[in-house]
Amino acid sequence: MTIAAENLAQYNEYVEALDMLDEESRFEYIIDIGKRADKVPFPADCMDDAHLMHGCMSKVWIIHTREDDRHKFQGASDAIIVKGLVSMMTGSFSGLTSAELASVSLDHVRGLNLGALTMQRQVGMMAMLKHMQKLSLQAARAEAAD
Amino acid sequence: MNAIGQPSSQPGHNIEGGFDVERIRQDFPILSRQIHGKPLVYFDSGASAQKPRAVIDAMTEVLENQYTNVHRGAHYLSQTLTDRYEGVRETIARFINAPSENQIVITRNTTEAINLVAATYGRKFLGKGDGVLVSAMEHHANIVPWQMLRDEKGIELKVAPIDDAGVLDLDAYAALLDGNTKLVAITHCSNVLGTMLPAAEIVGLAHERGIPVLLDGSQAVVHGTVDVQALDADFYVFTGHKLYGPNAIGVLYGKAELLAQMPPYQGGGDMIATVTFEKTTYQEPPYRFEAGTPPIVEAIGLGAAIDYVSAIGMEAIAAHERLLLAYATERLMALPDIQLFGTAPEKAAILSFIQQGIHPFDTAATLDRAGVAVRVGQHCAEPLMARLGVDGTVRASLAMYNTTYEIDTMIKALERARTLFG
Repeated sequence: MTIAAENLAQYNEYVEALDMLDEESRFEYIIDIGKRADKVPFPADCMDDAHLMHGCMSKVWIIHTREDDRHKFQGASDAIIVKGLVSMMTGSFSGLTSAELASVSLDHVRGLNLGALTMQRQVGMMAMLKHMQKLSLQAARAEAAD
Repeated sequence: MNAIGQPSSQPGHNIEGGFDVERIRQDFPILSRQIHGKPLVYFDSGASAQKPRAVIDAMTEVLENQYTNVHRGAHYLSQTLTDRYEGVRETIARFINAPSENQIVITRNTTEAINLVAATYGRKFLGKGDGVLVSAMEHHANIVPWQMLRDEKGIELKVAPIDDAGVLDLDAYAALLDGNTKLVAITHCSNVLGTMLPAAEIVGLAHERGIPVLLDGSQAVVHGTVDVQALDADFYVFTGHKLYGPNAIGVLYGKAELLAQMPPYQGGGDMIATVTFEKTTYQEPPYRFEAGTPPIVEAIGLGAAIDYVSAIGMEAIAAHERLLLAYATERLMALPDIQLFGTAPEKAAILSFIQQGIHPFDTAATLDRAGVAVRVGQHCAEPLMARLGVDGTVRASLAMYNTTYEIDTMIKALERARTLFG
């Protein structure tokens, strides 16, 4: 499944921006994204167990909504760096169709070129992606059952 | 020599309190590498310590020239390696002043050692309604095995409280010994707070009531001299990889009369005396508890690690770490935003803290950028985190190869974190 280029505009923007930066600047770039994420407040009542992605070192919450066959995500975390990372993930892959979302892979995460960050965070981003894909599938199943 | 409050201005001038830390650092190859273009500052030894050349060389030498299986091999290699392997048991016994090497059971790690006691001693001697007393600052490895026994046998898990400084409430502990308590299983040193517990007093109070005590020495054995006979510990457990040795090897010390009464842990080769399809008889301790091929190369590595720290001297290591702890505490507390957890008068060089208003993960990630390796999270001690009222902390756990200069590096990185996240 090829993802329509216009649906990956935000992702490509991140890729291009990160590509121009050295390691240290990438670190600060993610922090900036984390700080800016608060401009679109995450609903406080969604910071609950129902929206929690279980992890050890910081908390991550993700909200999933669907308009027609377009999936939208919003993420939050209690750690700013992780908030930056989850914002990149939800920003990159919101607006995709179900089929497109299912085809997002580790290669896309690697494409962000966050090698400067630790493997833990790479694995963390894959876990975020899988969680987003799981949420979209659960929504589809719930709809089919109705 | 660096007095407290007078940090060394540069690396390479850290002969601290007469302890030649620079010479020791040269024994650890990894300490010369860089992380993110900065010298590695390894403050995660409480999770796993780095390995000196002596350990690496000993293990390599076995693999290259001496390797085979141990016990009952009717050939030269097996006999010589068996002698060397069993010699490590004697080294371990001497290190903790055990009366005999036959009281040293080789395990995979501390976790397995505690599970072994729970599954053998616990299953045989503890029954419904009997209490196992732990403290509020246990590692999960000294909680979950007892919970599993609780679910299986109906024992009760009792918890001795701590105060806000991270000191065990001895009066409450003594009170909890009364009634149904049949075993105490307690840490000798908190992996999160660094608190050194008054182990001899803890054991004494329990023994007054005829209750045996298991001490989790994972951290304590690294930071000072341990004498299991002076402590009168019934069981003492620790792991190799925190003691500058390899991973996948741990130690269970037990009093001879207790080990003799305990049934086997796992079944298999090495732990048997005779096997027929009708009946199997078991070896005497320690072999009864060591089913299967043991961690041979790892044992040689642990022996080398013990020889290494013993040559330096545990008291000298402890003195150096006391200096580091005092210096790190003073520098941390001079920052405006640090909340330090664990301020017991007797503590090892383990510092758990948070920067006010900054998530521990963000602090740790900033430290990582400066080459400073710390641990972040709950440190396998979720009940303790709940007691402290935090989701997690940053933990800097120091070791004999650390310097005041490295502490200065951490402090600078913490100041940068304040700028980035404040």
